[in-house]
Amino acid sequence: MKLLVSGVFAIALISVPLEAAENPPIRFENRQKQSGINFILNNGTTDDKPIIDTIVGGVALLDYDNDGYLDIFFTNGARIPSLVKDSPSFSNRLYHNNHDGTFTDVTARAGVGGDGYSVGVAVGDCDNDGFPDIYVTGLNHNTLYHNNRDGTFTDVSASAGVTGVGPNGEKLWSVSAAWVDYDNDGHLDLFVSNYLNWTFETSKVCGRPGKRLSCSPTMYEGQPNILYHNNGDGTFTDVSVQTGIAKHIGKGMGVAIADYNDDGWMDIFVANDNERNFLFKNLGGKGFDEVGVESFVAFTEDGIPVSSMGVDFRDWNNDGRPSLFVTALGRETFPLFRNEGTGFFSVDTYKAGMGFATLGMSGWGNGIYDFDNDGFKDLFSANSHASENADEDHEQQYEQTNAVFQNTHDATFRDVSMLVGPDMQIRAAHRGCAFGDLNNDGRIDVVVSAISDRAELLYNTTKNDNHWILIDTIGVKSNRDGIGTRIKVTGESGLVQYNHVTTAGSFASSSDKRVHFGLGADKRIKEIELRWPSGRVQVLRNVKADQLLKITEAEK
Amino acid sequence: MKPAILLFLAAALCSPWPFAAGQCAGAEQQLQTVSRALTSETLDKAEQVLEAVEKSHPNCPESLLDHARLLALKGNAGEAAEAFARYQERAPDDARGYAYLARFLLDQGRYQRADETSALALEKKPSEASALAVRGEILIMKGRVEEATNLLEQALQVDPDNVEANFQLGTLADGNKRHAEAAKHFEKVLAINEHDAQAWDYLALNVEVLGEVDRAQNAYLKGEAVNQPGRHFDSFLDYNYGRFLTKRNQMKQAKQHLDHAVELTPEVRAVWYERAKVNLLMKNYADARDDAERAAALPDTQGIILDLQVYALLGQIYGRLGNQELSNKYDALSRAARVPVQERR
Repeated sequence: MKLLVSGVFAIALISVPLEAAENPPIRFENRQKQSGINFILNNGTTDDKPIIDTIVGGVALLDYDNDGYLDIFFTNGARIPSLVKDSPSFSNRLYHNNHDGTFTDVTARAGVGGDGYSVGVAVGDCDNDGFPDIYVTGLNHNTLYHNNRDGTFTDVSASAGVTGVGPNGEKLWSVSAAWVDYDNDGHLDLFVSNYLNWTFETSKVCGRPGKRLSCSPTMYEGQPNILYHNNGDGTFTDVSVQTGIAKHIGKGMGVAIADYNDDGWMDIFVANDNERNFLFKNLGGKGFDEVGVESFVAFTEDGIPVSSMGVDFRDWNNDGRPSLFVTALGRETFPLFRNEGTGFFSVDTYKAGMGFATLGMSGWGNGIYDFDNDGFKDLFSANSHASENADEDHEQQYEQTNAVFQNTHDATFRDVSMLVGPDMQIRAAHRGCAFGDLNNDGRIDVVVSAISDRAELLYNTTKNDNHWILIDTIGVKSNRDGIGTRIKVTGESGLVQYNHVTTAGSFASSSDKRVHFGLGADKRIKEIELRWPSGRVQVLRNVKADQLLKITEAEK
Repeated sequence: MKPAILLFLAAALCSPWPFAAGQCAGAEQQLQTVSRALTSETLDKAEQVLEAVEKSHPNCPESLLDHARLLALKGNAGEAAEAFARYQERAPDDARGYAYLARFLLDQGRYQRADETSALALEKKPSEASALAVRGEILIMKGRVEEATNLLEQALQVDPDNVEANFQLGTLADGNKRHAEAAKHFEKVLAINEHDAQAWDYLALNVEVLGEVDRAQNAYLKGEAVNQPGRHFDSFLDYNYGRFLTKRNQMKQAKQHLDHAVELTPEVRAVWYERAKVNLLMKNYADARDDAERAAALPDTQGIILDLQVYALLGQIYGRLGNQELSNKYDALSRAARVPVQERR
């Protein structure tokens, strides 16, 4: 009897480390304190909790000075009701990476403090000069900052014609934006998601006095999105009507881009809050068909829309087809739409193990990235409920911990949030988040904003022997960033992975344009195939792992 | 006065059986057993003990009330009604007689009389738990939810284990999406009456929403095991369990339960809709189409499955069947369907 008991005990002792060794935990460490970044997202909230105070918090990771290290940009709110940034606490902020884990606030010098109630940010080199430009969305101001290549920026919104004004001349409430060369002409165009018709006069009040709740968006009319075509001369033309974008009224939040049907033209997904989601299928660069319903990404498996917030659009199961990961509010789950490659998606939320795991979460920013470099992309969500007083409902929490779901290599995910380190157990009103390799160590880090809290700089400290590569594309015939380039990587083990160049995705945020691949045990890459937006296909063979590889588009 | 006599008097005054000190003297323990057995609906046991009491204490009114309850639970409506009437003749001021009669009338669908009788029960004794519980239940049916909640909470103050009050408060908490609170109430119900399939179903649904998958699975299984025809029969248990199994990716088992749900409640849109979804996931597209079309033909009287949901499903099914014309038709209907205004909770 004793032998049997000790035998079982011994097996138990052995089996735990074995399991851990098979799937080593992803780890994150918040290094905000030592970074010198003290940014606090100020939504300027008032007692009535107007709906505007919850739609905030864009984050961008960009290398604005081309020194090889990612810098960080945060958007910020404004005073309510003036919607003016009348205090430094409302300023958008740009932090320069000092390459040693610290950052310097360069907002004033760069001239990007901003105007009005800012929401989102999108980064792209819109003039192909090799320096990233910044587009900031907002309630009452959209701003395009042209990078002057000397550490300063110039507001060119008006001259460029990208002020976020709708067909009737009214400023639309812009949330997210995506740089995308939809017509493959070598110039980045700009897609802007817009939310709903809100003014102080039409603002609704919900919940009891003293404990107001953010009203449901179903109480307001939605707005059309905007597509600006880049004329290649520093100006843009609003082509929303002629491309079929403007006729679809939604409540746009996150935006992500991918060529979901592999026809060489980038498509656009818009996560709509309590409205059906949009999938804009690119018609050869000439216009778009909205096929969300036909493709089965408009609704959940229950055929209803949810409070879609953030979105990412990448291939998480290494089948070569970009699929969707969407965040939503508590009791709705975070939908996963798997691209079947037939024009249809299947709602795999429960099948992939994400249904029950996310029922109690409310998510905003999110991403599909390989955090443990094992060759399979994992999921991250920045969490918080929409309403500051959500806790009035005892089963909802306003401040929530962020979540990580580890890819278990069989098209399912495991919630490992409790295992990723003590810094990830902090509850806050998280909002936007951006992904990138802040210290160029080959591991994807995350920067998360939080209302009334310091931003979190979550450095990826996952310890394993896995290899990686970070690919920085430089377009020549294609747009200079190479946005839209599809990259196929075949490791020496034969593991094939896909991703594409984009800064769009998440909620109101903009991520590192460099494309990251975890390679598992592969020290070398058998083949890297790039399909540029120009149509050129470029192949590199026998490439060493664990490096940052710059690839310039081949002439032929 | 000696402490022992004081205790006896106190016991007599507080006793739930007003006649226990008289014609029922000596049968208190047995009567308590009968009452517990009736509450937990272990009818064989209740009947056995009650027979013994009736033999040993033929004039004990309490046993008459229990007899009426037993007959009611056994579905012997005519004899139960007579027994309740006899009890009221013997104990015209006992609130419990009216309360149990009201519950019996409620089960019989005689709502007007149940309403009147429950009001009378409460009038007789405003602190009687059984009267508070049945009155609360009737007030919920009448839409007077706040008043009902007060009465049900009072019932639990008097008798924290009151099955009916716990059940009703559980349903209210469930309706208000207070799932943890609902689960606690249903657990209380089930601790006393584990034969209540509806309570198992409610418990499962509420813990499922809380993400407690194993607990939900366990509750569904226990509910399935006791789901027999009778007052707690749950015709939606198979539907709910089938949905749950679908989420757990156990399609074959899900389909079996949904087949049963369709047999049980063919007039309900939701069961056809859900089976259509499972058929779609199992790639049984023709069956999915038939089920979804049936769902579309049924009105959604309870607002469980919106037209939008059925249209979206039909759009998918016809899309996968390659029927472009019908797929387009239902996609257009999905786009046109309005999303109901919801609270942000």
